[in-house]
Amino acid sequence: MKTRSFILFFPLLSVIAVSVLLRAHAAKTEAQAAPASAPKESSEGVTANWGLLTIPDTTLAINSSQPMSQRVVHYEIDAKYDAAKHTVDATEVLTYHNLTGVALDHFPFHLYQNAFHPNSTWVREAKVAGSRDTSYDKWESKEYGSEEIKSIEVSGQGDLTSQLHYIQPDDGNKDDKTVIDLPLRQPISPNGFVQFRIVFHDQMPETQARSGWKRDFVLGGQWFPKVGVWWHGAWNCHQYHAMTEFFADFGVYDVKLTVPQNEVVGASGVKVSEVKNPDNTKTVAYHGDDIHDFAWTASPRFKVKEDGVYQGQMGPVQMRILMQPAHWSQVDRHEKILRESLEQFEKRYGPYPYKTITLVDPEPDSAAGGMEYPTFITGGTSWFMPEGLHLPELVVEHEFGHQYWYGMVATNEFEDAWMDEGINSYSEVKVLDSIFGQRFSMINQLRAALGEREGQRLSYIGVADLDPMAQNAYDYYSFNSYGGITYGKTASVLLTLEGIIGEDMMDKVMHTYFMKYRFTHPTKEDFLKTIEEVSGKNLRWYFNQAVYGSQVMDYKILKVESFPVNWYEEKASHKKEDKNTVYRSYVWVQRKGDFVMPVDIEVTFENGEQIREHWDGASRWTKFTYEKKSKIESAELDPEHTIQIDRNDFNNSYRVEGNGKAARKLTNYWLFATQWLGQALAWWGV
Amino acid sequence: MEERKGLLSTGWGRIAHNKRYIVWFYILNLVMAWLGAAAFSNQAHDYLDHSLLSSRLVHGMDIGVLIEMFAQPDFGTVSAARASGVHFALAFFLLTALFMPGVLQGFSSTYRLPRDDFFRACGRNLWRFIRLMIVAGIVIGAVASALFALQGVIVKAAEESTNELLPFEMRMLCLAIIFLVMTALRIWFDLAEADVVLSDQNAVRRSIATGFRHAWRNLWQLLGAYVLITIVALIILGAGLVTWEKLIPASSVAGAFVLTQFMLLLLLIPRFWQRGVAVSYYLENMVAPIVVNTLTPPVAVATPSPLPPAEPQAT
Repeated sequence: MKTRSFILFFPLLSVIAVSVLLRAHAAKTEAQAAPASAPKESSEGVTANWGLLTIPDTTLAINSSQPMSQRVVHYEIDAKYDAAKHTVDATEVLTYHNLTGVALDHFPFHLYQNAFHPNSTWVREAKVAGSRDTSYDKWESKEYGSEEIKSIEVSGQGDLTSQLHYIQPDDGNKDDKTVIDLPLRQPISPNGFVQFRIVFHDQMPETQARSGWKRDFVLGGQWFPKVGVWWHGAWNCHQYHAMTEFFADFGVYDVKLTVPQNEVVGASGVKVSEVKNPDNTKTVAYHGDDIHDFAWTASPRFKVKEDGVYQGQMGPVQMRILMQPAHWSQVDRHEKILRESLEQFEKRYGPYPYKTITLVDPEPDSAAGGMEYPTFITGGTSWFMPEGLHLPELVVEHEFGHQYWYGMVATNEFEDAWMDEGINSYSEVKVLDSIFGQRFSMINQLRAALGEREGQRLSYIGVADLDPMAQNAYDYYSFNSYGGITYGKTASVLLTLEGIIGEDMMDKVMHTYFMKYRFTHPTKEDFLKTIEEVSGKNLRWYFNQAVYGSQVMDYKILKVESFPVNWYEEKASHKKEDKNTVYRSYVWVQRKGDFVMPVDIEVTFENGEQIREHWDGASRWTKFTYEKKSKIESAELDPEHTIQIDRNDFNNSYRVEGNGKAARKLTNYWLFATQWLGQALAWWGV
Repeated sequence: MEERKGLLSTGWGRIAHNKRYIVWFYILNLVMAWLGAAAFSNQAHDYLDHSLLSSRLVHGMDIGVLIEMFAQPDFGTVSAARASGVHFALAFFLLTALFMPGVLQGFSSTYRLPRDDFFRACGRNLWRFIRLMIVAGIVIGAVASALFALQGVIVKAAEESTNELLPFEMRMLCLAIIFLVMTALRIWFDLAEADVVLSDQNAVRRSIATGFRHAWRNLWQLLGAYVLITIVALIILGAGLVTWEKLIPASSVAGAFVLTQFMLLLLLIPRFWQRGVAVSYYLENMVAPIVVNTLTPPVAVATPSPLPPAEPQAT
């Protein structure tokens, strides 16, 4: 009994003792800092009232009795949205726990909304490399966005607003104001806490990069000053680029949003209160645990479905769906795919620990669709969406998948975009294939079919020789290349890996990777080593080409020939070939690209016999020779179709006797179109 | 309504008596398109016939395989094949313009127009038709440009609305109005063409003026007939596509070819029907009345009659 009590109480006593010591240490640090910076009056003339210097261990928003991440930050934001001006005025109290092991003497902050300025790095890059939503043929005033820190105070160090200065760690563009750095008067010692009180003002742009307003809708994404991540011994706080997303530490969010009373609000985390104010506004409070970002949306026209509950492995998950009125008929479609995605991800990778998932159907024609934030995603549909077009399902599934690959396995999206977008695209293929079938997971309408894995591969093959997967997201040649490589190539590379280590093994790898690295910031090597460790195979030859390199794979059946072995005999050349004729047959296989990989070849003879060959692909070409009483009918590379990264699938097979049916079918379409065009011209022109 | 029905039925009667024109134009359409599609056909056969992957295009339509085919550099650029198709479609349009005077002449004729007369009408009206088409092109192009620009403004304004369907509804409404206006213009120039050919009018501007006057005066009657015929064309197109999707197996190239060709043959009829309506209207309303100059008989002057002739005497 005594022993048991000791076991039970010792950890508890230890925690209390450590907490007391830490607080004493923090107080001491503050006391030490006090002479250098006596508390000053805030900009509002009120003496700063500092909160508790600790990160709460709340579990209100998760189905867990204990925190699941190493919590570094606690954001408390009190924001007011002016729907007429599209502005946000807010006070942010950020508590930071220094778990870096070193003293921190400066803190960089992201000010993402400053990207929407014609001289920013984001816009400069988007203009030349392209972007998802905007071409920037001309600049319109409504495209402006800004994020201004009015004041910043630091616990124990006073008002340091004058110390703020913009930095441009990536490209030195002095006009870029998306990162601001704050030197402290006193460094924050290891394991210490520091608190920042920031008063800021946002001017939201008309939606760009999944943030801003459109008509009476607003999506508050990347809207508050967010501290960088101390990663591998340095601050990691990149400028906002046209092709980059985000990177942040886990923590706790308590956010109060004040909006007009007619607005329907959705946000990350769980809603904890809603209070109506006398000035015709209301204040809605949200709380999030173990998340690394916070987004919100508001529109007076959302129709809400929130009675759907998914019984997850760790507890119930409330599915809150905010739909556009014109899309209300699709709400069940959205809920169904959200539920199926939850099921599939829990089954394949691990539990979804959060109590909510909010799915937002954003304003039509806005650049707010298809985005992920922790426990909050945006979809994308339109009022006309036949059942056979699985676009809404694809978007919802993809963005939900980011709850795992980004939300929980929080990789650095600036530097390793393939690790969130690409791994998530691979999951997307697996999940949608299992729901809709491999050939029909994107389109199954009017005989037209398109599978998700084929879609991913097609996005890759057009840009195959431009960029490798393993590079900074902002270093891609173009937006198309970024998309084709980070999404399409990664998915195709991992699907091809299934063929090398086996599908079951790959499932095991992914499950292990998720469980091991959830609520952390893994690197690319963490992922690749997990694959090797779980599969027990050295796969460097593959990773060096597929992940780190930009080698292109293109294998080809170069030539197929069969002729009688006694072709030189005069009578043989005249004699009608019979079943006793022996043929010498050859199959030449070529490696056209610079990606070297072993491949199988299946040779089929006219008598139905099939032979499976294996080639290591080391040389540029090889030849297989046969002597049989049958000629070759066809030869096919990769007969199991496990290779998804071959740039040209047409030359992977060759049949000796041509079959013109496909060409005739396409020609018939072409003929029909040409005839119809001629008739239409004649209808209106003569 | 009765007049419109009359125009529709007499217009239909003209194509019913001249079915051979439709068949010839269909053959012309097919041959031009066949030539236009030859480049693509060669490309497709070269690329697909020996690859096992092409089987995924036969049973159903694998969009992925299709996109990959077009994306492969060694398939060759589609732009050349597309240009070929467009050029032969244009060739059909020009040949239609060339032969249309003969058709109009045939439609107006109460007997089977001899081949010589048909081609004579074509040759005689070639330059007139070119002039007519230039004027029509300018008028239709200018009006269409203005209307589409207006549509753009309206739709853009509608896009500011929070009603998501409003831009689509506005676009459909605008397209319907543009269609009616374009059809009215087509009626104008169809009447002008009929006048040029059937009046042997060398002064095209007079035919344009006459066509405009009549199209304006009888707009609703003619527009109603034209719109009804267009609806028939849309029904043919819709029914054909549904039949294709429902009844023809995806792998049946021959079945699809027969059905699409039948559909294209039928689709030629409505436009000829509209021309039949224009010719009927012309003959009923636009033919200048034939003035017959008859001599006024001299007025008989009454003169005192002499004594009535004596009755013959019996002898």
